[in-house]
Amino acid sequence: MSRRVALPKTAALERPLARRPRDHPWLWLVPLLAVTGAFYLYPALDVLRFSFTNASLFRPTYSYSLSSYASLLRSPDFYYVLRITFIFTAGSVLLQLLLGLLIALAVHRGVIRNLPGSVFTRAVVLAAWITPGVIIGLTWQLLLNEANYGIASYALTRLGLPKIPFLSNPIWALVSVTVANIWRGTAFSMILQYAGLQRIPHELYEAAEVDGATPLNSFFHITIPQLRPILLINIILITIYTLNTFDMILPLTGGGPGRATEVIALHTYSRVFNSFDLGKGAALAGIMLVISLIMTLIYSQLLRSEEAE
Amino acid sequence: MRALSYILGALVLAILAYSPATSLAQEELVTADRIGRTDAPIVLTWQIIAPHSHLATIQQRADGFRALYEEWARAHPDVRIDVEVIPGERINETQTRLLEQARVGQAPDFSAVDSFFLPLFKLAGVLAPLNEFFDEAYLNDLFPFVRQGVTDSAGNVVAVWWSTDLRVLHYRTDLVPVPPRTEAELIETAARVAGENPGIDGYLYNGGRWEGTFFDNVAHFWAQGGQLVDDTGRPIFNESSNREAMLNMLRFLQQTVQAGASPARVASIATYGDFEAAAQAGTVAMFQGGHWQYFNLRNLLTPEEFAKWAVAPIPQLREDLASTGTGGWTQAVFTNDPQKKALAVDFIRSVYDGPGAVVIGNPPTRQSLFQSEPFYTEDPIWDTFRQFLVSGQARPGFPIYPTISTEMQVAIGEVLTGTKSPEQALDDAWARVLEAYQSLQGT
Repeated sequence: MSRRVALPKTAALERPLARRPRDHPWLWLVPLLAVTGAFYLYPALDVLRFSFTNASLFRPTYSYSLSSYASLLRSPDFYYVLRITFIFTAGSVLLQLLLGLLIALAVHRGVIRNLPGSVFTRAVVLAAWITPGVIIGLTWQLLLNEANYGIASYALTRLGLPKIPFLSNPIWALVSVTVANIWRGTAFSMILQYAGLQRIPHELYEAAEVDGATPLNSFFHITIPQLRPILLINIILITIYTLNTFDMILPLTGGGPGRATEVIALHTYSRVFNSFDLGKGAALAGIMLVISLIMTLIYSQLLRSEEAE
Repeated sequence: MRALSYILGALVLAILAYSPATSLAQEELVTADRIGRTDAPIVLTWQIIAPHSHLATIQQRADGFRALYEEWARAHPDVRIDVEVIPGERINETQTRLLEQARVGQAPDFSAVDSFFLPLFKLAGVLAPLNEFFDEAYLNDLFPFVRQGVTDSAGNVVAVWWSTDLRVLHYRTDLVPVPPRTEAELIETAARVAGENPGIDGYLYNGGRWEGTFFDNVAHFWAQGGQLVDDTGRPIFNESSNREAMLNMLRFLQQTVQAGASPARVASIATYGDFEAAAQAGTVAMFQGGHWQYFNLRNLLTPEEFAKWAVAPIPQLREDLASTGTGGWTQAVFTNDPQKKALAVDFIRSVYDGPGAVVIGNPPTRQSLFQSEPFYTEDPIWDTFRQFLVSGQARPGFPIYPTISTEMQVAIGEVLTGTKSPEQALDDAWARVLEAYQSLQGT
């Protein structure tokens, strides 16, 4: 424990409070607020403003109304896209979290036991995280190409197994884009959870071992409770990332076949850049924001209620 | 001391090297942003996309355009063209911005305009009429779709369409000795070849979610006289006879999969590269692709393998029908200054209208060039493409087209995967397009 050292009072320290710069937080916050306001808050508010218009990229004039939201909520496509998005997001978040935790645990144990290959494993997993979404989409496109020369199809044929319509069957296509997204996002979960694991005091595990706890007991009664805050942040972030994903899906399936893999972010992109419908595109972005906020509130509520118990 | 004198000497030499007299003597006629001498009294502004300029990433193209620019600049010492080279990507964005600039009088004196966007520029009335530069013989020489494309509603010539492309049926002559001429023949031949040759797909085409899927296949609709939009850009593809033509197109695509002529995986094909890969692997008998793939196959395959490949017109509902989707680029003039207009047209005709098409290796838009230009006469395939281009059709460049294309891509996917019947898929696409059209109109 460090001790506070009592400093001698000087004339400078005794100056009136109003004259000390550190007592003017606004002075220091202004640049940050200006940057945040100009580059984050203003565009976000402008998107919200457009969502209450019938603006089009091809028409300079527009009027304010709720028609964009009303039209979206009436459209059966919107609910179909929401359903696809829910399956894609739930599958991605659940498996990214689980696989990220498994890899983090493996790497953590490897480091503790000085096993060779821990750094290599971390580097390999991180490679998926630093690769741009478009490249990941193209890579998975090559991997899952259903032609005889497609890597997965070739492997299945060599093993004497029937080919799988990875991208041309609506259900398989949704599974394929979800798996590709899990592969992409697991590294991020691994990083967060690996950092969380390193913060857990080793003494806790030693004490549990003395008390006769099994590794499974330690995992559920020490690791998981200690990781809970990190897990919450992890879930919130990967939910938001997954909801916003379209850069990987665009080159992989383009949202097809039909609309089988058209998630809400891709639907929004299509509304704005194919149909030039800025009003509905902005309304969809507003709805995505609301969904993200609701998910965040639910997760934090769950965590609080578990902590209260 | 000696070191200091060396440095001073180097400095003096550097200053001399950059003196105005020296730089004038050695001035390059073509730089990244200029064609002609810096001190030329007449100045024009021009916008061009990088792939069609001296800044193209393909060195052969860049050198070709640079040589053409230099030749023109030498012949016009009093003229300087200030060049704005823009990327070849994000065409929607750059063309929309150019249109907005033109509307407020801020456009360059002349510019590259995507043939697909030309109708929007015509509707906006921002293009300078160029009638005095083109006689009837020139206009008659243009392919019909080109002449229609460069003429506005008042009959004025408003652009120079200098290169185009087309879609064709590629087929392997050892498996398909006589190319099918109708859709029914195509399905029958492809299903038979696939049945007799395990591991070989009868017929491949774009069926995934991308522009190529609709653009390639809409030729089956156009050939029946189908129209996507009317003259004002209002969608009409589901009205009266157009509906039947569109349903025929969807039923044909559905049949290709159901009859075993095409594998179900066509619903995921969203790149022309897949056809070339299949041709290399020897696993396809026929595919519908771009004309440029003939040359790609020539580069990819051994001479013996390439000799098996030939091209044919896209099979249609009936033998007497023909159509193929075409694209390409135009050059349009925005200035109404007579002197600048004349110089811009002279530049376009000297550099792009003919020579430019040769530089990029695409078909020209004037039929006579296929007989007079050595590049096109040396290879008989060009005359074949010329014949196909007579029935060429360009996409309607109205703001609603991308929505029509997207929704019909969805419809094609739904039909190919059996999710919806052709009728249901078309009706759903139609409802969405109408909604988008109303949004575009602000109603």
